[in-house]
Amino acid sequence: MDLLLGSIAAGILLGMVIALVALGLTIIFGVMDIVNFAHGEFLMVGMYAGLLTAKATGMDPLLTLPVAAVVGFLLGVICYAGFIKFLLRGPMVAQLLGTFGLMLFLRNLALLIFGSSDRTVHHGILVGKSFDIGMGIILPATKLAAAGLSVIAFLAVWLLMNRTKIGKALTATALNAQAARYMGIPTEKMNALAWGIGGASVTTAGALIVNFWAVNPFMGLLFTMIAFAVVALGGFGNVPGAFFAGLVVGLIMEIPGFWDFFTYTFDWMWMADVPMTSLKYMWIYVAYFVIMVIRPRGLFGWKH
Amino acid sequence: MKALVRLALVGIALAAVLGLMVPADVFAAEEIKIGVIYPLTGGAAAAGRELRAGAELAAEIANNVMADIPMTMAKNSGVKAMGGAKIKLIFKDHEGNPTLGADLAKKLILDDKVHGILGCYHSSVTKTVSAVCEQYGVPMINGSSTSPDLTMRGFKWFWRTTPHDKWFTKDLFEFLKGLTEGKVKGVKAVPKKDIETVAAACENTEWGSLVTETIKLFAGEYDFKLRRSLLYADKATDLSSEVRSLKAARPDVMLFASYTSDAILMVKTLKAEKAGPKIIWGQNAGFETPEFRSTLGDDIVGILTRTVFLPQVVEVKKVAGQVNEMYKAKTGNDLSGASARSFTGLQTWVHVLEKAGSAKPADIQKAANAIEIPGDELVVPWAGVKFSTTGEELGQNILGSGLIGQYQKAKDGSVVLEIVYPFDVVTADMIYPFPGW
Repeated sequence: MDLLLGSIAAGILLGMVIALVALGLTIIFGVMDIVNFAHGEFLMVGMYAGLLTAKATGMDPLLTLPVAAVVGFLLGVICYAGFIKFLLRGPMVAQLLGTFGLMLFLRNLALLIFGSSDRTVHHGILVGKSFDIGMGIILPATKLAAAGLSVIAFLAVWLLMNRTKIGKALTATALNAQAARYMGIPTEKMNALAWGIGGASVTTAGALIVNFWAVNPFMGLLFTMIAFAVVALGGFGNVPGAFFAGLVVGLIMEIPGFWDFFTYTFDWMWMADVPMTSLKYMWIYVAYFVIMVIRPRGLFGWKH
Repeated sequence: MKALVRLALVGIALAAVLGLMVPADVFAAEEIKIGVIYPLTGGAAAAGRELRAGAELAAEIANNVMADIPMTMAKNSGVKAMGGAKIKLIFKDHEGNPTLGADLAKKLILDDKVHGILGCYHSSVTKTVSAVCEQYGVPMINGSSTSPDLTMRGFKWFWRTTPHDKWFTKDLFEFLKGLTEGKVKGVKAVPKKDIETVAAACENTEWGSLVTETIKLFAGEYDFKLRRSLLYADKATDLSSEVRSLKAARPDVMLFASYTSDAILMVKTLKAEKAGPKIIWGQNAGFETPEFRSTLGDDIVGILTRTVFLPQVVEVKKVAGQVNEMYKAKTGNDLSGASARSFTGLQTWVHVLEKAGSAKPADIQKAANAIEIPGDELVVPWAGVKFSTTGEELGQNILGSGLIGQYQKAKDGSVVLEIVYPFDVVTADMIYPFPGW
């Protein structure tokens, strides 16, 4: 039973972290219908921003979150104003290839500046601590903090979108950019804002994640893929959907844990020989595939 | 004036033609080029730096006279049998990528015209690189890849100085058996049922997957219960589901085969998930890099790692102490299993060339199959270097041996590796069980 509870807790925790990673992607898609292939690279930039600020200033990695947020916001706005804006004039395929190019650019820029070695945070208030609350549930402090931030970030974005004027303007831009422009909404600014918020949310996530995951210039793609699956599962552009889809994906990633539960509870030792942990990412894409075939608009519906 | 120019042109042309006619060997005698392929960037970059420093130090000793070091290669400047030809190392970075390694080997052979290859650390890369060498008939000496398969392929151009994982894994189970028999210093005989269940996690390239196989093999042979055995990606950013899976098996002994960054991540995750087996053992590589120690600090006290070299060896081997001093002056670190073995790899190259007396592949091949370096010339605690030439294993050094070390806290507060196996050269009492985090 401990195994089951432990896996569920770990899955939910991981799911919240993943949802946080996917949040920026769903915001940008929600407002502009652009799929940002460079999303994982934004995360990587956030991780480096957090890591290097902490190293340079000697402060706790946890306190670098605002720095990462500012870096992410600027990165998002600059990418939009300097690049994406021009892509919008082209066909859909130009947007796809354009953000793909942005991904390659950021990745190789990071490679040039930081080198290809893995880097990790080794010291910090939260690093290496965990809470054992019994019944097999162990909550690493770093992941708990990331999960907490995830909830806060989702609430904040949800409030922004649904309770403020800016949010209404963003939604209007998302629903019909042309009509929004006629109504006097500065859609250009709204687009830039969406990129800024999207960038800030993902780099903040990065600065938190770097507390427990190593960063190197190549790690972006894995997270882009996972974030894609989350966004597709939750419904493209659907913010609350992304949160719940994140939880689903987190639990899917814990399938090896559930497998172990059955292996050792019923002592079916043949199950121990199945290399489930090697296949842990596979199930996400299986789920992605199944959703695309059965319910293309995602579990929680399309944004419109 | 015109005639003068013409004369000069003819002169240059003549010189060029004559130059082409002079056999290449006359010039080659001045320099022997060894291509060295190591992971200088990527996850194993830390180990790569050490490997490089070890090989460079060996080349330095070979190229200069250092009479006070009791090594044949220190007595001469360059390779004496080849008119004092100097060793030149050409380093290439394979990033842990087997395909890239093979490309680099081709480049070294075809473009740089190297006389031989040294490398490559990752067994997966050594596998592809040695295949290229075999294809071109270029000799390759491997100092630090421990996948047993490498010398089982009947290759004629491949020699390995380090003992391989079958020996090392057998050492581990001998050690566990010794633990139950009260042979381990400082520990009373442990009942077998206390350390009976075993779980293993190895990285999923060539090396780790073969370590898994040998663990399975010896666990059966020595009658231990292998409850869980899994492979993980060495570039993984997260190992928590792997660690939980290991924990789920409730093992007494956890075994790992990891490279640098994944070894650190693994131990951090074990701590975060509060995994507390009685014994944690690493199949060296990541578990003995300076980064592992400096990053994790006191958290690793009690962890065991198999290795081929420990600073404590210096106490019993004078030559190791001398080389260690030089290495420390250059890099700031003590020799480790990685650097000591790359040093020995290049040292073996020098001996082979000295015996061959020429850089022709066929002569080198003959010499490699015939050399015998006595143990007292080596920095590693082996009986010597002598390659097998018959049987199912070809080119394997049959005089090597391994050590098992345990991280312990020294009096000055630093964390050091003490020898706990073989039982006749132990340097400290073993800490048992693993003290936890």
